[in-house]
Amino acid sequence: MNWRNVATIATKDLGILVTRRSVRLSLILLPLGVAIGLPQVARFAGNGGIPAALLPRFLTAFLFFFAVTATILPVAIASYSLVGEKIERSLEPLLATPAADGEILLGKGLAAFVPPIAAIWIGGVVFMALSDQETRARLGHPYFPNGTAILILAVIVPLMAILSVEYSVLVSARASDVRAAQQAATLVVLPSMALYVLAEVGAITLNMATLGVVAGVLAVIDAALAIASRATFRREDILTRWA
Amino acid sequence: MIEIEGLTRRFGEVTAVDGLTLTIGEGEVFGLLGPNGAGKTTTVRMLACLISRTAGRARIGGYSIGDATAARKIRSLIGLMPEEAGLYPDLSAARTLDFFGRLYRMPRAARTERTERLLTLLGLWQRRDAPVKTYSKGMRQRLALARALIHDPPVLFLDEPTANLDPEGAKTVRDFLLELRRDKRTILLNTHHLEEASRVCDRVGVLANRLIAVGSPEELRRSLWGSATVVRLAEVTGPVADAARKAGSGDVAVAGNVLTVPVGDPERDNPELVRAIVDAGGQVQFVTESVPTLEEVYLRLLGGRQ
Repeated sequence: MNWRNVATIATKDLGILVTRRSVRLSLILLPLGVAIGLPQVARFAGNGGIPAALLPRFLTAFLFFFAVTATILPVAIASYSLVGEKIERSLEPLLATPAADGEILLGKGLAAFVPPIAAIWIGGVVFMALSDQETRARLGHPYFPNGTAILILAVIVPLMAILSVEYSVLVSARASDVRAAQQAATLVVLPSMALYVLAEVGAITLNMATLGVVAGVLAVIDAALAIASRATFRREDILTRWA
Repeated sequence: MIEIEGLTRRFGEVTAVDGLTLTIGEGEVFGLLGPNGAGKTTTVRMLACLISRTAGRARIGGYSIGDATAARKIRSLIGLMPEEAGLYPDLSAARTLDFFGRLYRMPRAARTERTERLLTLLGLWQRRDAPVKTYSKGMRQRLALARALIHDPPVLFLDEPTANLDPEGAKTVRDFLLELRRDKRTILLNTHHLEEASRVCDRVGVLANRLIAVGSPEELRRSLWGSATVVRLAEVTGPVADAARKAGSGDVAVAGNVLTVPVGDPERDNPELVRAIVDAGGQVQFVTESVPTLEEVYLRLLGGRQ
């Protein structure tokens, strides 16, 4: 693996992606909306806000929404990165360089992974700061950061983002336009959204043990999808089947 | 530089390239001619280690295609210009070349120097910082050519480099190809444009899934047509036509005041032919060689095959 090639491809893709207004907006608005909006729900739900006894459970579930966001944002970028190159027919010249298939895939994956993670982490910090204002007033102490929050932001969010990138690679192999790829890839949101809803209604508790299991399952799925996406992203298949 | 032996590629039941055997020497410009679906692009893709072969073998610069460890080395040796320019619309020409130069592991100074040289030669230097999406089709094609040459490769694969260009754009690219020819670079040129092949290539091959003819444009013309001499006279009379028939080596065609006379060896037979016509009372105005175009040769080769 030549990491210089990986960095060159990732930097080029990032340079192109930040010129796209829709990508820029989604990277800023979604995490920021979640970071600012959900603490307001905690504060004003039913006018008096979420009852103090329920506040920790709801805030943890709200923080888990960043994991849902981690499946949404990379889809937009990875679809542009892969289907966009397919539409422009720019993959063939890239594949004709000495860069290996894995280096190209990893470079593109990093370009789709890094900006969402950075945006989500910034959003997560803002969310925790705003939530702590509320818990200081209602519980008398800050609630974040805690072990659960660190597990969600440092482990679950990256694993979800990797899942999203890998799934997008698989979808992009068959999609012929960016919008179709994005629509097909949004299915990857469903499992994380289901977990979020279950946590909100109290059907599951997002404690360290539950999140540990989720992280383990995600790691296994990520590993399997890594093998599948690597098998999909082969020069021969790209040139003879992707078109 | 390029040795191909029995190279074959099948896609399911369809054989795209069938037993191609060919050697292209160092510094040679070789044109691969053929209709759509003849296997030209598939051949280039196999040689560029982009797709695998079903059978046969090929070596480029001493490295065998199909050998995983050699694939990177082969790709370093070649520059590929695919049929579609395949550029990034949001990148400028300078950034495009810098990106590809990095992937070929060129030092920064070499990238900068080479970028300036190529963009200047191809008339893009003034627009080097403008995004590619603002370029005309001809400019994009020229940039794609610059991209293929950024690492100064000894072998160049050009797939229809002037396809879909207006005459002026095509001429710019063609003139640049003639420049490249002077560099003594090995070039495999896929083209539909027979005049282009005739002007640029040392040898051409006609591919229709199988290689059906190979040689210099001149050799192909002669092998199919032989030689003929065209004589324009003040008037073609019966005795003049009879004299031409006796002096020539086949059927004489008469069109108005022009005679087309097949001859075995023009240098040996033409003086005798002219003397015979003059002796028969003919007043010779012009004597020229009959040269079929490469297009006529190509159509006859493909027609014969069908």
